[in-house]
Amino acid sequence: MRSNNIVAMILAGGRGTRLFELTKKVAKPAVHFGGKYRIIDFPLSNCANSDITTVGVLTQYESILLNAYVAKDPNWGLDVKDGGVFVLTPREKDQENFEVYQGTADAITQNIDYLDSLDPEYVLILSGDHIYKMNYATMLAYHKIKNADATIAVLEVPLREASRFGIMNTNKQDRIIEFEEKPAKPKSNLASMGIYIFSYKTLRKYLVADAKDSNSHHDFGKDIIPQYLKDKKQIYAYRFKGYWKDVGTVDSLWEANMDLLDDNSELDLADPNWKIYTEDINALPQYIGPEAHVENCYITQGSIILGTAKNSVLGTNCSIGKGAKVIDSVIMPGAKIKDNATVIRCIVADGVTVEEGVKCGSKDSEHITLVAKRAVKE
Amino acid sequence: MNVLGIINFEDNTASIDGLGDYRPVPAISFLGRYRIVDFILSNMTNSGINNIQVYCKEKPRNLFEHLGDGKKYNVNSKRGKLRILYGEKSFASPVYNTDIANFVLNMQYIESDPNPYVIIAPSYFVYSFDFTDAFKQHLDSKADITVLYKTTDDAKTSFLGCDTLTMNKNRRVTKIEKNRGNKKNCSISMEAYIMDKKLFIDLVNRAAEISSLFWFKDIIADILKEYKVYGYGVRGYVACVNSLSEYFRINMDLRDRDELNSLFLRDWPIYTQTNDSCPTRFTETAHATGSIIANGCLIEGEVEGSIIGRNVTIREGAIVKDSIIMTDAYIGKGAVLDHVIVDKYAIVHHVKKLEGTDDNPVYVKRRDRI
Repeated sequence: MRSNNIVAMILAGGRGTRLFELTKKVAKPAVHFGGKYRIIDFPLSNCANSDITTVGVLTQYESILLNAYVAKDPNWGLDVKDGGVFVLTPREKDQENFEVYQGTADAITQNIDYLDSLDPEYVLILSGDHIYKMNYATMLAYHKIKNADATIAVLEVPLREASRFGIMNTNKQDRIIEFEEKPAKPKSNLASMGIYIFSYKTLRKYLVADAKDSNSHHDFGKDIIPQYLKDKKQIYAYRFKGYWKDVGTVDSLWEANMDLLDDNSELDLADPNWKIYTEDINALPQYIGPEAHVENCYITQGSIILGTAKNSVLGTNCSIGKGAKVIDSVIMPGAKIKDNATVIRCIVADGVTVEEGVKCGSKDSEHITLVAKRAVKE
Repeated sequence: MNVLGIINFEDNTASIDGLGDYRPVPAISFLGRYRIVDFILSNMTNSGINNIQVYCKEKPRNLFEHLGDGKKYNVNSKRGKLRILYGEKSFASPVYNTDIANFVLNMQYIESDPNPYVIIAPSYFVYSFDFTDAFKQHLDSKADITVLYKTTDDAKTSFLGCDTLTMNKNRRVTKIEKNRGNKKNCSISMEAYIMDKKLFIDLVNRAAEISSLFWFKDIIADILKEYKVYGYGVRGYVACVNSLSEYFRINMDLRDRDELNSLFLRDWPIYTQTNDSCPTRFTETAHATGSIIANGCLIEGEVEGSIIGRNVTIREGAIVKDSIIMTDAYIGKGAVLDHVIVDKYAIVHHVKKLEGTDDNPVYVKRRDRI
């Protein structure tokens, strides 16, 4: 397959501080989701399914695992001639001070030489920490029809929640006339999904100018988009319908996992026409023991279930011992819930052991309990 | 290991009724997510064999699709090679389609391989085994041929039709006979041989001259006086998938975790082709016990003591007991299955009760609708 004239740049450098220990040693995009996936599998698979085969992944925070993970581009079918996944970390350059990425726009600016070498017509900016399925090719077609300088994907959110998002105010043709970051009194309910298509030539000029502005945060939302609007550039809103979730907190990560158990949820990972690809981990099929009880669960290969699993998402090679109960929880890959332990409303981090008879979490807790280190009897 | 791996096919005494009509034995699905060939192929790559030839008796389509370029099996893409070989000419009768005939037809690929040794093994024996030690022993012992065997006390019911080895004190093989189920204790030949490539080529040519109906194992039985053939005992799990009832029994026995753990060993991965299926979804009405279940399934009904392949749907109210359901099969509302093998893409609709036995499981054909 020949690559086309669009390059995707996935911003994957963020820590995701509100995920606490889950992101102590890995960046947020590498956090596990849905039993067998990592969060970044979603934008990568979306790119592959949209026939966008040149993908730069911008990493910074705790990037060893993430760099190695995304570099295996055959996992997403991105190992094509003229394309592939390019890991872009901050680097030392000739005649310049070495700086880490200062903001979302700066991360792109620091890689202008990389983009120039590809000479794309369009650049797709994505974030590495959202769960959704989206055809970027349709968005690109929209961008072309509108003859836009930039197109921003937006989601209609309930108006009462709109003040949590970056809100786009549009005219009748869906041209964006105003952008407000987390407005107290939102004028519209179109929230930015952090997905942008830019015509590269124009973007390049703005990035170069922004880099020289010492007052800038070097951020797309705070600086680049407002400058485009100030200059009356054509920015259009592309209305996305479907599942989209920012999994920035332990609670929201848990909720997104639970959405996989909801028949009414729009997040369907079983669609053969839009598969989410991930690393191929060698594992046996799941084993359900003779005395196991499994009810309303999402379970992936390698799991060994001897006890009870209810309303839960179970990751690759995890195990639930005899008499153990896992209820309303997310068990990440390789975690072990030993005999007679109880786990309720928890996320048990990957590789963590809950020892025999230990109880974690509570059914009445307001927030989800994160179990990130070996849980032993007190 | 400076060895060419040759994965051979089984002779005509092995016949998997039904399942074998649609694909060669190595491509038959095993334990929900594997194919039978995955075991011997993983054994070879895990043992450090880089060049591997897989011989296919017939219907290569399925095997091509499953094995691909061997990357999934950790075959090195530059320093190694996986070849799928078969007789490109048509045989006057299926009886002439022997392994010897196929080796002769593909001799150029055997001759041109740079490795001085060969390990020949069929895929229908299922086991986890590191060839390193057996190869070392072969070199140290000055044997002409080393043959792997498994000692069993169950030869009256399993390994029927396989060859048995009679060995002297030094494990030199003196006689090879068919296991007709007369004796309980036997040393079963696993038809896996280690030898010089030159000797292998000689034996193939010699067999071809003796009879067009000769198989490689026949020529081995013929030359026991002339060459030193030694046995190498394999401990641990060994099974031979040579009939539908054995296929059923072997799968069912692996529901036992100890049995399962004796086949799947730590640090000995069994590779297979990935399908990128999502995890399996169990609904609130689901009930599952004692089963082995692959990814991509939707389980609404009851599953007990069964092996469920990828992307299987089991609707609410259906009961699947002691059965094997293969990839993409659909079990409709209210269907009751007991001791049944449902082949790929088959659809079993509601209000049907299918009931087989341990020795005689019911077989539902590929793409069948009931």
